[in-house]
Order: sequence, then structure tokens, then C-alpha cells
Amino acid sequence: MNERVGTSVLRLTGISKVYGEGPTRVDALRPTTFEARAGEVVAIVGPSGSGKSTLLTIIGLINPPTAGSLLINGEPVITDGVAVTNLTTMRRRELGYVFQRSNLIPFLNAEENVRLALEIDGVPAGQARGRARELLESLGLAKRLGALPGKLSGGEQQRVAIARAMIHQPSVVLADEPTAALDSGRGRQVMELFRDSAHAHGAAVLVVTHDHRTLDLVDRVLEMEDGVLSEKQPD
Amino acid sequence: MMDLAVRDIRNDLSRFLLTAAGLGMLMSVVLAMTGIYNGMVVDATVLPDTYGGDLWVVQKGTQGPFAESSRVPALLADRVRAVPGVARTRSYMTLNVQHELEDGETLRFMLAGLSWPDDLGNALPLAQGRALRQPHYELVADRALGLPVGASLRLGRDDYTIVGVTSGMVSSSGDPLVFASVSDALRIQNDLASEALRLERESRVSRVRRSPYGRDPASLARAGSAAPLPVTAPPPVTAILVDVAAGSDVEAVKASLQGWPDISVYTIDEQRELLVRGVIDRARRQIGLFRALLVLISAIVMGLIVYTMTLDKMLSLSLLKLLGAKQRVILRLILEESLLLGVSAYLVALLIGELAFDLFPRRVLVQDMDRLALLGVILGLSIAAGMVGLRKALAANPNEVLAS
Ligand SMILES: Nc1ncnc2c1ncn2[C@@H]1O[C@H](COP(=O)(O)OP(=O)(O)O)[C@@H](O)[C@H]1O
Ligand SMILES: [Mg+2]
Repeated sequence: MNERVGTSVLRLTGISKVYGEGPTRVDALRPTTFEARAGEVVAIVGPSGSGKSTLLTIIGLINPPTAGSLLINGEPVITDGVAVTNLTTMRRRELGYVFQRSNLIPFLNAEENVRLALEIDGVPAGQARGRARELLESLGLAKRLGALPGKLSGGEQQRVAIARAMIHQPSVVLADEPTAALDSGRGRQVMELFRDSAHAHGAAVLVVTHDHRTLDLVDRVLEMEDGVLSEKQPD
Repeated sequence: MMDLAVRDIRNDLSRFLLTAAGLGMLMSVVLAMTGIYNGMVVDATVLPDTYGGDLWVVQKGTQGPFAESSRVPALLADRVRAVPGVARTRSYMTLNVQHELEDGETLRFMLAGLSWPDDLGNALPLAQGRALRQPHYELVADRALGLPVGASLRLGRDDYTIVGVTSGMVSSSGDPLVFASVSDALRIQNDLASEALRLERESRVSRVRRSPYGRDPASLARAGSAAPLPVTAPPPVTAILVDVAAGSDVEAVKASLQGWPDISVYTIDEQRELLVRGVIDRARRQIGLFRALLVLISAIVMGLIVYTMTLDKMLSLSLLKLLGAKQRVILRLILEESLLLGVSAYLVALLIGELAFDLFPRRVLVQDMDRLALLGVILGLSIAAGMVGLRKALAANPNEVLAS
């Protein structure tokens, strides 16, 4: 288990998002306050169009919020809707991403895709290669290191993507419907992987999912409805 | 940082190579145009360069013998030789010949006269055989004529033997040069007479008939030393070449000759200038313009290719941005790929030049400076094209990854 586990790595205060204005105005995310700790896996469920992806892209620092403040690992990143630090550096160091598909750069093989997350932050190639191999091998991909994404199965691709999202020990990993393209067995494996990696790497993992059968694997479930986020009570 | 450009290229190597080959062919045309341009200038001045001669004496008021036609009496050579400072004079004449072979093929060449015995053609760049040894019935022909040493050629009423073969000796219009003694060349000119020449000869005959000596040759003997010169003279040549004696001033000799009423005088450099700025000027400018157009087209093609290559990578670029890659990473990916494409195209162009330019019917002269200049142009184009791609690449939106 990672020594960070249990510390607060993500804090949102009054974060909201409005798309458009006038008659086309959409309140995609109502003012939201929310906290996540290292090592926990948080599932976000809710109907389509309720604002789940909007929340994830705001936390992912690729979609500026209309208002509110955001701290990552205790450092102010957005204060009252304004970026107060270099978001590119923040993305590179503190965040990891996994999406439904097209997570990987098609012209890089599995190992290179994972190494990339380290090398773009200046980790020397040799060291990056070693760490990438080690991680991929621990994910059962020892034989697929040199395979291009196009030659990997959907489940393998997602495992590589998770390795890529975790290798640089980010504070927060964001996953938007990572199991949607997988069958239920593989989907469950991916969720287990998130759970194990969250503990091993000391990251908070936020997973948007539609698959209610895997919710037993997560620590918390949040429900999104019309832009309003609420804690879902276990049923 | 791993080399993303190389990995992207490697991923679809055949496409990259095909693109480089296509672009290389375009570049090889640019290189060919440069070589043709240079070759044209060299070809144009082959004759004055071969003959040398400090001064060229031509018909009054003409810019002969290359830019305009010129005729001077052959005996002018003797008068010029008497001028102080003149070491040597040579007659110069050329003749365009279109000769039907027995198998129906036509030989086109320019027959150029060598002043026997002063000039046997020893200065010619002989590839095989020898220079002239006899004043008659021997030819030195350029390789481009396609006839070997020992071959015989019937020109007019006589058979001539090719005793030597030169390389690279062509007229300013690209026809191979064939050298004979001036007297043979004049005879061939006479024998191959066109209708116009035949008329000229007939009028000469009638002039002789009108002259008292023509009607009554014995009157010449009676007149003794008081007789005026006969009206028949050796056929005219095109120009007289003057070699100025060592230690004498070329300009001074030129000035004294220029006072003569029946001739114009040019230095050899003026002749070269007349050729390059005059005779081949339009062709030269045409090729120059065409080459500029090709470079422009290459620039557009290159820009489009790099732009398309960037479009194909937009998702990867968005992903790189999402992962927090610095702009430098994206800049390097696009520019490096563009430069690798340019350099590969350059190498293809060089290879094509190496293999194909010798097969061209006319001289293609590519010098190291031209190759270097092309490399410079290609690197410039690559960077410009890379900028086009980069503009698009930097606009990549990390949100695109989610939308896909
Ligand atoms: N870029 C955008 N511009 C305008 N409206 C948007 C944009 N992205 C999302 N929306 C709207 O915001 C709402 C929430 O969308 P989204 O966050 O994608 O929901 P979910 O991921 O839960 O399906 C939807 O009504 C959607 O139409
Ligand atoms: Mg969504």
C-alpha cells in the first residue's frame, strides 16, 4: 500500500459549469463541492447527459469551470474559476486519464505508450522503459510489450491505458466509462485493476460507469442527476 | 524523450517512402532544370571556349558569328596578320549540315572548320582516336553524332573518315560538332549547296563571264602586272580569329582593327556575353522561370502533404496535449517529420539525378553548389511546411480525445 493513502488529493469547492447562454444555456454542472482521498475508488453513476463527463473534464483540467475552486494534492489549481497554476504541468504530473477507447497513441507500442507518460516529464528513457516494463508485466502484459494498440484486444488496450494513467504516480486518475467497450467479465477485471492500483499507487480514482454490477468493487458511489452530484446511499 | 517522429514514420513506412519518392521526383525535376540551365550555358560557349582566340573579326555591323550570320573574305586573315601585335590568325567557319544516311536516318550536326596547318584540333577534348593529320578527308566528330573512329561519311562528293571522337562538343543549339579543315568544310559547303548557294555560284560564273578576263583569259597575261585582281576569290569564311602576341595589348590590337571599314571586332569575352545574354537568353530565362515555378509547386505540395500528415495525427496530438506534453514535444514531432520527408526526397532526387541525367539528350550539368542549394531550398520548404502543420497541430484540443 502507498504511504499517501488516506490523504486528501482532490478538493472541489462550488465548481459549476454553464454551456452557452441565453436560450441555449445549459447548466451542465450545478455548484459542486466534493473531496477524494488517495487510494479510494469513487464511482460516478447517472443518466446520460447528466453532467458526468463535464465534471471529469473539469477535474482533468481540459474544460474550464464557470465558477468555483479546485485543489489537487493540496495545491490551488483553480481559484474562483481562474487557473492559478500551469495546467499543462499539472496534467503531466498529477493526473492520469483512461477513456472508453482511443486512449493510446496508435503508432507507439504498449511499452512506448506507457513510457511516454514518464518521458514527457523528463524521466530518462532507460529508467522509463524499465518502470513501464515492470508495470505492464505486473498487469499480465509481458508478452504484449511490443504490440501496437491496433494489435491489442479491447481489454489489453484498457490495461495498457491504466498502466499509462498510473505509471507517473498521479494524485488523481480519471476514467470515463472505461469498461463500456468491454464484456462484463473484462469490465470487472478492469474495475479490480483500478481498485488495486489506487491502493498501490496512492491515487484517487474517479470512474464514470454504467455497469452497476461492478459497484461492489468501489469505495464510494456518487450519483449525478441534472448536474447535481450527491452521495448514493448503499442499497 | 523517445523519438515520436521516427516511430510515426516507421508505423507506416511504405506510405512515407512513397511520399518521399514522389516528392523526390518533383525535386529531381528542379535539379534537372538547374542542370539543363547550366548545361545550356556551357554548351553555348563550347565553340568560343574551344577555339579560343583573343579577338574575333567578323563582318562589319554584325554580332557574328554566333548571334548573327557573318561573312568575311578568307584573305582577310592575311591582312589582319600584318597588324602589329597579332601573333596568329585562323579562319573560322561553321556550317549546319543535315545529312541523310543510306538507312534513311538523318544526321544533324554542325561542321566547324579548323585552320590547317595552324590548328589540327589538338586542343579538342578527344575521347578516342586522334586530331587531324591530313589537310583533307579527315573528320573529328563528337560522340553525340554516334559514329565511331574509322567510320566513313560521304559528304558532298567525297568520302571522309572519322579519325577522332570528342565528348561534350555541341553547338549552342545542342547539335554535335564535327571538325574538318577549313578548306574541306568550304568544299562540303559548296557541294552540299542548297538552291541559294547554287544560284550564288551561277551568279559568280556569270560575273566571271562578264569580266574581260573571264571572256578572254589571255588578256590577263597581256595586262601583266597592271592587271587588277581577279574577281574570283576563295569562298568567304565566317570570322577570322586573332591570337595576340605575348606582351601585346589585346585592347590596343582591337582598337587598331576597329578602324577598318569592313569589319567589326569582338574580344572572346564579348563573344561569350553575346551568346549567353543574347543567343540563349530567352531559353535560359524560360528555364529559370520554369524552375522557380517548380519550386513554388513543390512548396505547395510539401505544405499539403505535411498538413495531411498532421491531420492524420490529430487524435495522437490531442492525446499528447491531454497527457501534458510540452509544446516543444509537438513542435519536434511535426518539424522532424517534415524535415525527414524533405531530406528523404532530396536523397531520392540525387539518386534520380545520378541515374538519369546522363541519359538526357543534352548536357545536364549539376554541380556541388547546385546540390547544396537544392538541399537549402528543401530544408526551407520542409520548415515552412512544418509550420503549416504546426499551426494545425497546436490547435489540437485535448477534449477531442473524449469526443472520439
Ligand atoms: N461542449 C458542450 N457544449 C454545450 N453543451 C454541452 C457540451 N458538453 C456537454 N454539454 C451538455 O451538458 C450536459 C452534460 O453533458 P455530459 O457532461 O456529457 O453528460 P454525461 O457525460 O453525463 O452524459 C448535456 O446536456 C450536454 O448536452
Ligand atoms: Mg459522458
